[in-house]
Amino acid sequence: MIKALVLACGNSLRGDDGVALQVVNDLQKTGCDPATEFRWPQQWTPELAEPISKAEVVVFVDAALDAPAGSIACTHLLPNRSTSLGGTHHSSPESLLLLAEELYGKRPLRAYLVTVAGAAFELEENLSDPVRSAIPGAVERIKALLSVSVPD
Amino acid sequence: MSKTITIDPVTRIEGHAKITLQIDDRSEVSEAYFHVTQFRGFEKICVGRPFYEMPTLMERICGICPVSHLLASAKACDALLAMKVPPSAGKLRRILNLAQLIQSHALSFFYLSSPDLLIGMDGDPKDRNLFGVMRKHPELGRGGIRLRQFGQQVIETLAGKRIHPAWVVPGGVTEPLSIEKRDKLLAQIPEVIAIVQKTLAWFKIEFENFREEIRSFANFPSLFMGLVTADDRAGYYEGKLRFTDSHGNIVADKLEAANYADFLGEAVEPFTFMKLPYYKPLGYPGGIYRVGPLARINMVENCGTPLAQQEWIEFRALERGAVLSSFHYHYARLIEMLFALEHIEEYLLDPIITETHARYSASLNNLEGVGCCEAPRGTLIHHYRVDEQGLITWANLVIATGHNNLAMNRGILQVARHFVRSEKLNEGMLNHVEAVIRAFDPCLSCSTHAYGQMPLQIRLLSADGKLLDELHRKSSSGNHD
Repeated sequence: MIKALVLACGNSLRGDDGVALQVVNDLQKTGCDPATEFRWPQQWTPELAEPISKAEVVVFVDAALDAPAGSIACTHLLPNRSTSLGGTHHSSPESLLLLAEELYGKRPLRAYLVTVAGAAFELEENLSDPVRSAIPGAVERIKALLSVSVPD
Repeated sequence: MSKTITIDPVTRIEGHAKITLQIDDRSEVSEAYFHVTQFRGFEKICVGRPFYEMPTLMERICGICPVSHLLASAKACDALLAMKVPPSAGKLRRILNLAQLIQSHALSFFYLSSPDLLIGMDGDPKDRNLFGVMRKHPELGRGGIRLRQFGQQVIETLAGKRIHPAWVVPGGVTEPLSIEKRDKLLAQIPEVIAIVQKTLAWFKIEFENFREEIRSFANFPSLFMGLVTADDRAGYYEGKLRFTDSHGNIVADKLEAANYADFLGEAVEPFTFMKLPYYKPLGYPGGIYRVGPLARINMVENCGTPLAQQEWIEFRALERGAVLSSFHYHYARLIEMLFALEHIEEYLLDPIITETHARYSASLNNLEGVGCCEAPRGTLIHHYRVDEQGLITWANLVIATGHNNLAMNRGILQVARHFVRSEKLNEGMLNHVEAVIRAFDPCLSCSTHAYGQMPLQIRLLSADGKLLDELHRKSSSGNHD
């Protein structure tokens, strides 16, 4: 069983859309528990359901819209069928939790979505200043989530 | 009173499109149009760029089949250099191509089309998705996910990335395959072969429930085209082009892909941004032909691998000549996955596969080059011209889905005439029209950026523009495309 799985979603060629990739890169460098696995899928796709089903804790990391640039949000996730499972481009974290549970009979004990709100999503390889500044805070937030012990 | 029905957008396909049906005064469908509503323009974007950038630039056309564009482009660049690639690189490129075929076919069959097969064409659209599949047949759902994972894993192991790898370059590949990585891939093959065999066994029973769809889903005589090897097998990476007819007879054979303009015309129509290729000797639109899994299975005299060969014999026994119903693209896709897995195993067991010399180098030797391979959806052609400095001056791409454009339009007309009978639309009627398109698995473009689940709107208008009926499918927010 993987103790924790951290998944980064985004496109580094679309400006702030790639913030999660950088957050998880930095998180990995801080020296997490060796049983933590990191992945950088560009999208949330159904293939992730299988590794999700094997983890005790899963943290989905993504960029967000509709909030002040650089603001960090953390949501506790539960399986939910009503959210999208488009098959190729549009799966939601909640739908992947449900897919894990229904296809593989297991789901993480805890699952979170951590987002950093972006400002610019045009064709650009750099992050905007407020988003870049938010990265250390996002890393600390995820480390705190991972450090909570999981009851046996 | 004549009227028009618009299905906009078509769902569970790769890319963005809509369908228009013209209804005549007798309330029968008289015309059908498949509109590809997005415009790409890669042929223009690349002008002025150095030719050696083309493989990594052109693979950005698509997020599902980037490997096909990578390979066709690299082959066109090999032609500009007038060189062959090292034997190990040739086989590694072939494995990459077959791995992509597996992951793409798995996506098409299990994610996009199996909801229609399991829940039913008229089933509740709320259940006609992967959730519905996993509830009704979890083993099938897990199998589809595993097959797609395996195809992507092979691509990642060889090329470093699952999507948009830069490993294939003019002259070969950038890195050889290690023995350790080869052995890890080999160890998984029996498991994934078993998944395809189980799925085939299930599908061969299941498709008996779709007799009406088999009869009406783009089931008509046409030519078929694809690459064929010297030993008469489907040539996914190499070979020469062959055309066969609906009786299975060879119409034209051993055609060099580099001379495609001699026998392929490319028509344009005002209703779509997708070109309509046709077989020149039969003119437009009489030169209609189909490509992809159904064509490849129809055109060859043997499959060449033991398990796929058994399935191929059974498949070809469905009809005396070629199998004409496009519903059987699904069946052909499963056989191709089996073939691809067996063939990957063959290549991996060849000692040459781990040789370390995987790239040759050369200078520009030709000012024009054509590269061709079989993408999951059919024959893909990249054609470039360069100046003396190696800068692109002109490019033409003949995309696999484009070859099927005439057949898809005709298929929509056939299925709409069969299923769209009244002025009162319903979801099942709509889904039948969409499902014939899904059978072809068109890849209209995966690299455009989109947010959210696509909304669906169908409007039934009278000849004077009066709204007679309307259906809406709500949109919702999604994530990265």
